[in-house]
Amino acid sequence: MIKITELQKFYRTEEVETVALNNLSIHVAAGEFVAVMGPSGCGKSTLLNIVGLLDDLDNGSYLFNNIEVAKFNERKRSDLRKHNIGFVFQSFNLIDELTVFENVELPLIYTKVPASERKKRVEEVLEKVQIMHRRNHFPQQLSGGQQQRVAVARAVVNNPKLILADEPTGNLDSNNGNEVMQLLTELNEQGTTIVMVTHSEHDARYADRIIRMLDGQVLMETVG
Amino acid sequence: MLRNYIKIAWRNLWKSKGYSALNIGGLAIGMASAALILLWVANEMSFDMFHSKRDRLYIAANQSVFNGELQTWFTTAKPLGPALNAEFPDIAHTSRYSTYNGVLLTVGDKKLTANGAFVDSAFLEMFDFPLLIGDKHIALNRPSDIVITQSLAKRLFGNEEAVGKTLQLDTLDVATVSGVLKDLPGNTRFRDIEYLLPWSYMEKIGFSDDYWGNNSVQTYVELVPNASRHAVGEKIRDIVIRHSDGQQDNEVLLHALPDWWLRSKYENGHIAGGRIEMVRLFGVIAGFILLIACINFMNLSTARSEKRAKEVGIRKVAGAYRRSLIGQFISESILLAFIAGLIALVIVLATLPAFGGLVERDISIGFDSPYFWLSGAAFVLLTGLLAGSYPAFFLSAFNPVNVLKGTFRRVNAVFNPRKILVVIQFSIAIILIIGTVVLHRQIQYGKDRENGYNKNNLVYVFEMGEVTKNSSLIKNELLSNGIAESVTRTSSPLTEGWSNSWGFEWQGKQPDDKTVFDRFCVDEHIVETAGLTLVEGRDFDLSKYPTDSLGIILNESAVKAMGFQAPIGQLIKDNGKEWHVIGVVKDFIMRSPFDPIDPLVIEGAAGWFNAIHIKFNPALSTSDALRKTEDIFKRYNPNYPFEYTFVDDAYAEKFAETQRTGTLAGLFAFLTVFISCLGLFGLAAYMAENRTKEIGVRKVLGASVYAITRLLSKEFVLLVLIACVIAFPIAYWAMDNFLQTFDYRISLGWGIFVISGLGALTLALITVSSHALRAAMANPVDSLRDE
Repeated sequence: MIKITELQKFYRTEEVETVALNNLSIHVAAGEFVAVMGPSGCGKSTLLNIVGLLDDLDNGSYLFNNIEVAKFNERKRSDLRKHNIGFVFQSFNLIDELTVFENVELPLIYTKVPASERKKRVEEVLEKVQIMHRRNHFPQQLSGGQQQRVAVARAVVNNPKLILADEPTGNLDSNNGNEVMQLLTELNEQGTTIVMVTHSEHDARYADRIIRMLDGQVLMETVG
Repeated sequence: MLRNYIKIAWRNLWKSKGYSALNIGGLAIGMASAALILLWVANEMSFDMFHSKRDRLYIAANQSVFNGELQTWFTTAKPLGPALNAEFPDIAHTSRYSTYNGVLLTVGDKKLTANGAFVDSAFLEMFDFPLLIGDKHIALNRPSDIVITQSLAKRLFGNEEAVGKTLQLDTLDVATVSGVLKDLPGNTRFRDIEYLLPWSYMEKIGFSDDYWGNNSVQTYVELVPNASRHAVGEKIRDIVIRHSDGQQDNEVLLHALPDWWLRSKYENGHIAGGRIEMVRLFGVIAGFILLIACINFMNLSTARSEKRAKEVGIRKVAGAYRRSLIGQFISESILLAFIAGLIALVIVLATLPAFGGLVERDISIGFDSPYFWLSGAAFVLLTGLLAGSYPAFFLSAFNPVNVLKGTFRRVNAVFNPRKILVVIQFSIAIILIIGTVVLHRQIQYGKDRENGYNKNNLVYVFEMGEVTKNSSLIKNELLSNGIAESVTRTSSPLTEGWSNSWGFEWQGKQPDDKTVFDRFCVDEHIVETAGLTLVEGRDFDLSKYPTDSLGIILNESAVKAMGFQAPIGQLIKDNGKEWHVIGVVKDFIMRSPFDPIDPLVIEGAAGWFNAIHIKFNPALSTSDALRKTEDIFKRYNPNYPFEYTFVDDAYAEKFAETQRTGTLAGLFAFLTVFISCLGLFGLAAYMAENRTKEIGVRKVLGASVYAITRLLSKEFVLLVLIACVIAFPIAYWAMDNFLQTFDYRISLGWGIFVISGLGALTLALITVSSHALRAAMANPVDSLRDE
């Protein structure tokens, strides 16, 4: 599903150029659950952003389902993203002014799903993450675990082929963390490909494969 | 999707109520101010544009060269209208128009004075002033006809049918009401008219004449459909010269209806503006105020961008195109503009009567007109777009990676757009402040100008009804009873020039000299009554010098214009009479206090009279003197109400128009500054909020409250100073141009600029420092606790 070859990414300021990713190549097959690990600043989040088409790459090739997407413009990236990729962040990133239901509904609005269909799908997914009873609450009224479950619900409501999770349990206690990992595992079992950046060895154990990074390069890969 | 946008916009508004109030409030005040001005502009532009024949209607104007300059004026000779009608088939109708004010109308016991005019019978066919009752084709055919407005009909006849009833005009004649006119709208040059009398009546009472050199009435012309104005203009150009056998050399031109109200100033034979300049000026001010209010919106929206950044990131991650985010933010600002528009409408409705009073116009909102709703919607849409476009592009450009990772930071560049916008706001505000200060100083300068007469205790009364006949008796009673110190009959109020001429002849006059002299007639004692300053010779005194009835007093400008070395005793010919100069007075202001004083010829008792000036005895209280004067007038002129005017008030009236402009400019300058400060207030609050941690650290490291307040205010002070640098040259250029329109004017000293700049700076400092001070006085422990 994902084939990245000789990827380079630089960050430039007036004085210095920092290499974030250096000739990195990875491959993720459809249906895999991959964890990316490494110390802070090793480039794992940058990699995730590039995979999620949120960030550009400077050199290299990125095939998504065998289509070269490295040179896609903003609009094409948007299209690809909204139909194929769901995101889960460490800090949940829910819109404070929208209710649980409205937050989850958001990706369906951008893919122009009719209102009745939206309602059905949002309710289904909220049932799935067991947060239906909080559908009319605002994010601030929920616990961290509940917020992340909403974020997961939002990531999957569009039935994406790929979920990108950036330290999804980083802000959660272990009970809530385990619940979220359980959710991701279930999604993976239903066929969704998952790429997860994490610091937690415990979480990484849920993955099929662990990619360890250092200084913008893949250090080693282990199969879980 | 729109529902989602509106929902989130509404929740955002509700969440930050303070800022929403600032934002919407500022926008509402800006929109209301702009709307008021635009309503006035629309009213000005609508003058007489409702006539269905507006494309074919003209006023005839005269043009002639005076001392090398081509002058244009809109009064014409009385025979012009009929001659145009008779000679040119392209002219469908003409109507002369001559006001006939202050006439006493009597119906039974009811007596009242009203304003009216003599017109030709075609007047009602040319203009869309519909008759509610009567036939416009015949209503002004007989000399005894009178057409009155519905209001006047009500005042005279109550609810009775007016047509067919008779009323008495002054003490002269009886007229029969032949039509009732719908009240004239406020946006016509004829708006003061309450009745129309046929020209044939004017002829009957001997007010009309066939002299081509007496330019005293207006002549309106209607061309046949599809006639070429240019072709007709060419044909009629020499009509006065032909008819006067070359004695008059003025040419006639047609001035089109759409130009009557706004473009009636001619320079060297061409239209050179008029009220349109004022309309444009205030149109620009309206635009500025709206822009300033929109800038507030832009600044507050972008300053608060961090609050919205996460949302933008999430939406982008969820698949939103940048375009749809722009759409979202613009629809949000249109929603805001809509709310502000509703509040603005309430403000406009509440202030419209006062504003109408200020501009002396009957301005109303046409709620029943689709045009109003369309333009209202366009106004809201435009405001929303203007205010929302920059924030929309700014916010939608956020990179989701940065905002969601929390690495997004405000940039505090030396020149960021927000700072530039604040500079624009304050530049405009400072220009308006300077404009207001200059205008008020100019008005004061005119007021302080030595006017050349003593206005104290001086009133005038128009000669109506029996006053003319009994003037000697009235004068005697006023003087012998010690009510007045001095009484003089005059041809016009002292503060108004009603007559002028280039026809005076004197020894040594050059044949091509067409200097225009003001003409003012008095019976006697004018120097004493008006408190003029005699330079040489003496005042008129008929009892001592009966030949003073053909005497003349000149002002100093007239002496200079006539080139007299020894003016006393010089002979001057005017109106077929020979007059002799008996005195010279210092120049005094009859016309505009901002213009140079024209040469003036004051003619003696052989002239004509329309008013009586009375200098009250200072030993009597004014109210006492007025009461006693009224008794005398009532006795000798029992049918007329006693109406008087203080020369003081009449003189003050000369400043009314400029004063009104000054008040309006002041009001809008204040609003501009107020709205700018509202924006600054919001920005300062945000700045203080964003720098809380920095302030905490600085305090911990030993910074004083003063140092921190200064640090936080410094940036804004700098912006206002830059605004001063931009505003000063623009304001100088604009005000210098404006002052050129006055002959008697102030010079633009640097003081005005310093005062205006300091004023803006002080206001900005007061606005900003409250937040700065509060931030500086906060306990650093609170702001650093989360570290």
